[in-house]
Formats: sequence, C-alpha cells, structure tokens
Amino acid sequence: MIQLLFFLLIGAALLSSLLFLVRRGGPRPEGDSRVLMDARRALDALQGGLLPHELVRRIFARDDLDYMVALALPKPVRDLFILERRKIALLWIAQVRTQVSSLKRFHVGAARSYAQLGLRTELELACDFAALLVACQALRFAVYVGGPYVAPRMVGATAAAAGKICAISEQSLAFLNPVQLKPLASGSLHS
Amino acid sequence: MHVNSSPKRMDVEEARQDLCRRTLSDIQRPLDRLIYLASMRDYNTGVYHHDGLASRFTEEVACEALADCHREAFRELVICPLDELVSQLDAYRSSTHTSPREFLTAWGRLEPYRVAVPVQTDPLSAEFLFSNFKIALAVLESQLDSRPAGPAA
Repeated sequence: MIQLLFFLLIGAALLSSLLFLVRRGGPRPEGDSRVLMDARRALDALQGGLLPHELVRRIFARDDLDYMVALALPKPVRDLFILERRKIALLWIAQVRTQVSSLKRFHVGAARSYAQLGLRTELELACDFAALLVACQALRFAVYVGGPYVAPRMVGATAAAAGKICAISEQSLAFLNPVQLKPLASGSLHS
Repeated sequence: MHVNSSPKRMDVEEARQDLCRRTLSDIQRPLDRLIYLASMRDYNTGVYHHDGLASRFTEEVACEALADCHREAFRELVICPLDELVSQLDAYRSSTHTSPREFLTAWGRLEPYRVAVPVQTDPLSAEFLFSNFKIALAVLESQLDSRPAGPAA
C-alpha cells in the first residue's frame, strides 16, 4: 500500500512537471512573433529616437535656461519655458520606461528561446532592468518636483543604463538582422 | 527605366548631392530648408515632387532624395539651441516680408510647423521641436512688446 502511494505520488509529480513544461515550453508562433516585433520596435525607438546623445543633451541643456534668464523676459514667458521643458523631460522618461519595459518582457518571455545568453549575463540583465526602471521612477519624481534641470547626473546615468540594455538586447535580436552575404569570388563559379 | 519600385541607394545619394549642390546650398538656415522641403511634399499622398530633379533622375529617386534632405533638416533643427531657433524664426519672418505681429499671431494660432515635419519622425523629437517653436514664438512676441512703438518691419 505504501509502495503504491509512493509510485502514485511520483506519477503525480511527473505529470504535473509535464503539464508545467507543456504550458511554459514550446514557442507559440503568434505570441512569440508579436513579442519579437515589439522588442525590435522598442529597440529601434530607443536607439533611433530616445537615446541619441545629442537629443538627450539638448532636452536637458542648461544653456537654453541660461539664454532665457539672460534675456530677462517677463515671468509668464519664463514659466512657459520651464513648463514646456518639464513636459518634454517627463515625456522622455515615460517613453524610455515604456520601451525598456517592452524589452524586459522580451527577455523574460522569449529571449531564452532565441539568444545564447549565459546565466551570469541574464542575472546581470535582470538587475539592470530592475535598477533602470527604479531610476526612471526616481527621475520622474525628481523632474516633476524640481523641474527639468534638477538631476543632470541621473539623466546621464539613466541614458547610459538604457544604452547598455540596448546593446545586450541588440545581441539577443541579432538573428532578426538580414544576413550579409559575401560576394562570390570571381573564380568560385568555376571551382 | 527603373524596374524596381524602391530606387537604388546610390542613385538616391547622387540625387541628394545634386539637390544640395543646386538648390539647398542657397538656403542656409535649417528652418528655411525644412519649410521648403515640406512644401515639396503632396499633403494628400506624402510624395515629394521636384520636376528638375525628377527629369535628371526618376520620380522615385527624386522623392527619396527630397525625403532624405527633409529628415536631415529636421534633425538639424531639433538639436539646435533655443537662441539659434529664435534667430532662425526671426530671420524667416523677415524673409516673408510679413509684419512681425501678423506673423506671430498666425504662427501662434495655426501652428504651421506641425505639418512641416517628415513622416515617420519619432514622436518625442517632433514634440520637442513643437515645444521649442512655442517658446521661440513667445520670446519673439515678448521682445516685440518691449520694443518702442514704431513702423512695422
């Protein structure tokens, strides 16, 4: 009786592991392709639109503020400037956060199926994602309360951390890039 | 005659250089170039037209070259400092021979810069440029208000 119970327990354990693997395992073409497309789009948005150094520098550039102060403009114009810059700064932070979250979903869900990332890299990446998302929230709070020029170092650190995540994600998504075929050597047709 | 629907990159690059050499070299300011190139685009189709360039190359190549230059002018303008944008806007206003007050009122109300951005521009860059235009208009308006009353420029 005890032996039967023992084997039944082993059987139940095996069956539940099998069910777990079936639910988690095989790539679902529709879901996976959507995650891949989202990740590719997020990467393009970050690298092409949100993280270029010149754009980030210009959004948070203090020389524009200095220019406005030097002009000695009426208060409503100066207020408009601060309001507009804060709006753009918050938009930048929100978009970086959204795109980074999209990349995180890809890494949590599908990256293991496609990318050859080591365990150490995956753990580092998980920490980087967590730190970056927390940094975005902290920066958002700082800009909301103190204005767009309150934390220039945090802006730099956030952009650098997002750039690092982009570089790792680029490797994970490299298989989507078109293969560059080498031109045939002139004698290769005759060999 | 081009069989492919998408023009060859080399042809586009050649057409782009031709456009820069013959036409855009006379338009120094990025703002003027942005407005000029946006005006080359059909609002209904999004296709750029330039008869001279199309006769030397093809319609497709000319369209791609114009789109490239439009994107470049936009990029230049997005990263230009605020003081430069204010100067460019003021210089553009002077070149239109419109009275400053009339120009500032029209630009403030109609926001024509919103239709001057290239397609597929990332939303943040576009919003940033619109925001800078809004500030630049406010600066010019404030400077106009502080000037002693006199004949319109």
